[in-house]
Amino acid sequence: MDPSIIEFIGEKCMISIIPNFSNEPLHLIYGSVGPFRAGFPVFVPLWLAAHLRKQQKCRIVPPEWMELETLEEIKEEEKRSKYFTKMPSEHYMVVAQLVMSTSPDDVPRCEELRTVIKDIFDIRESKLRTSIDAFIKGEGTYAKLDNLTLLEIHSVRPILPYSLDHIARYQRMATASQRDTSMLGLNTTGANSGTNSMSNSFFTQ
Amino acid sequence: MSESEVALNDQDASTEADLAGAYEEDDDEDAEPITAQKVLEILETAWTNEMCAPELLQHQTDMLELMLSQVAHMEEQMRDLEKNDFRYVVHQMELERIRYIMTSYLRCRLQKIETFTQHILNQEAAREPADKRLSPEEAKFAQEFATHMDEYFHKVATQYMPSQQRGEAEQRIVTPNLMSHVFLKANVAVSGVIVGVDDEEVDLTPGSQHIIPYQLVADLIQKNQAQLI
Amino acid sequence: MSSSNKMFGDKAFDLLKDLKRSSQTIPAFDDDGVRQVLEEIKAIFEENVAQASNYNSSGDRSLWPLLNYRHAALQRNKRCLLAYLYERMQRIKAMRWEFGPIVPDDIKQSLCEPEVQLFNNYSKSLASYMRSVGDGQGIDLTSNLRPPKSLYIEVRCVEDYGKFELDDGEVVHLKKNSQHYMPRAQVETLVRQGILQHIA
Repeated sequence: MDPSIIEFIGEKCMISIIPNFSNEPLHLIYGSVGPFRAGFPVFVPLWLAAHLRKQQKCRIVPPEWMELETLEEIKEEEKRSKYFTKMPSEHYMVVAQLVMSTSPDDVPRCEELRTVIKDIFDIRESKLRTSIDAFIKGEGTYAKLDNLTLLEIHSVRPILPYSLDHIARYQRMATASQRDTSMLGLNTTGANSGTNSMSNSFFTQ
Repeated sequence: MSESEVALNDQDASTEADLAGAYEEDDDEDAEPITAQKVLEILETAWTNEMCAPELLQHQTDMLELMLSQVAHMEEQMRDLEKNDFRYVVHQMELERIRYIMTSYLRCRLQKIETFTQHILNQEAAREPADKRLSPEEAKFAQEFATHMDEYFHKVATQYMPSQQRGEAEQRIVTPNLMSHVFLKANVAVSGVIVGVDDEEVDLTPGSQHIIPYQLVADLIQKNQAQLI
Repeated sequence: MSSSNKMFGDKAFDLLKDLKRSSQTIPAFDDDGVRQVLEEIKAIFEENVAQASNYNSSGDRSLWPLLNYRHAALQRNKRCLLAYLYERMQRIKAMRWEFGPIVPDDIKQSLCEPEVQLFNNYSKSLASYMRSVGDGQGIDLTSNLRPPKSLYIEVRCVEDYGKFELDDGEVVHLKKNSQHYMPRAQVETLVRQGILQHIA
């Protein structure tokens, strides 16, 4: 899955904006948004918020968790915990990135937030790498991945399933090649225990 | 300004009723009315499942038809709006998102059809009409594609091979690796899912996430008890 | 087999290597190479048939490794040849998505006749599939290839351009280094001409 698709999916998250215009509700296919009243907060999908913000038609209200103290706590908790802690949003990276890039002015202490969020992501990524390493060495084929967000899952998507598939393939090949070598001997009736003549199968499929 | 918005609202309401009607015709008497929003959700899930599953999944012809008419209908309603009208732009943006989901979904299916053509055709031949995975349009495309591909390989190469050497070259059957690992999210509680070769069992709680060989959970996807992520 | 000191399968492997290394959309169909591989397949096969009957009647087990070896060479030749054709087929399909139903002339020259037919057939099948989707409502799968970002894009003006009128009548002054948020469709040409620069 392309990263742009992860972002696309994350853009469905609802976020609060304060419009500077008024309008009746809009009946979108995925559901209604609005009414919009200048100066009053209203929830809209992230993709719409980003668009309105770029057109200077609204201010984005950062989600509650996009606040320095909260994020510092999350970071400490993530450090302490052996397992992955539950993130405040399933798309916390996508939301944070999009909000901070479209409207840094709407986010108090934006630069500090950016650093903490990056720290949290890095702590989780390194945890992820360690557990994958253990998982593969333990020759597992199944694991529970609770509290990992889509982006994090995506960050291991090419490598983890791929290596597991390869290991499984080698295991199958090892079994199959044992079979093959025993079959090769089939024709040489004396030396090997085979009974069936193979030579014809060389020329007919 | 508010006049055309009203028109849009009215139309939306009637479209949802139409959708319900269309759905009920197709399905049996106990079918619930379905909203455009629900159709979109079903398509979105089908799309992500299709992207993540190694094999071709069940087609969603009914849902696609409903959504295509909904989109066409919306475009019709938008014709009277100014191109830079706030409402026009927002509706247009949403339609682009929906069009992307639908086209990406169908492209993903075509790609599988082109890769596993013969394998899929063989499987389809053995399936009851209600279990077909290909839509009638896809089935036609798959059949044509197989023919064209065969023609090409035959004209350029296999016809010049010794006849005993052609068989496997002509078949070229590519099959998906059903044991490839996928990421899964449980939609509901499922108990006793076998997760390993040694029959190890696990109970899935709603919302829990797992990595697991596809084949072990293929039926959960089909029944919408879990989805791929 | 007198002239057979070169390795079996070399030519077949070359076919693949050349295709892989080529930086063109699709290099010219290697008519000569394909023919040589097919001849090698045929030659190996015939020798093996001859010796297999010899082997079957005489039971001379010393022939066994040679039969095996030739068989493996034959399989490898087939495999490389089919891989070569398969990869070309993938590229031919990709061209349909990239260029539409008409192949540019310079590329067409690289295709052999069956490949041109393959392209045309694929093109027709795909078009009729796309028209038939959704009970004949149709959908163009060759557009909307990427997740939509925005109907509008942010651009920076690279040089003084002057007034630019948008479809809705709004007039924008494009001055060097000024930044604007404008409908993507309407400014695409200016972006291609390098007057505007798309900024993320």
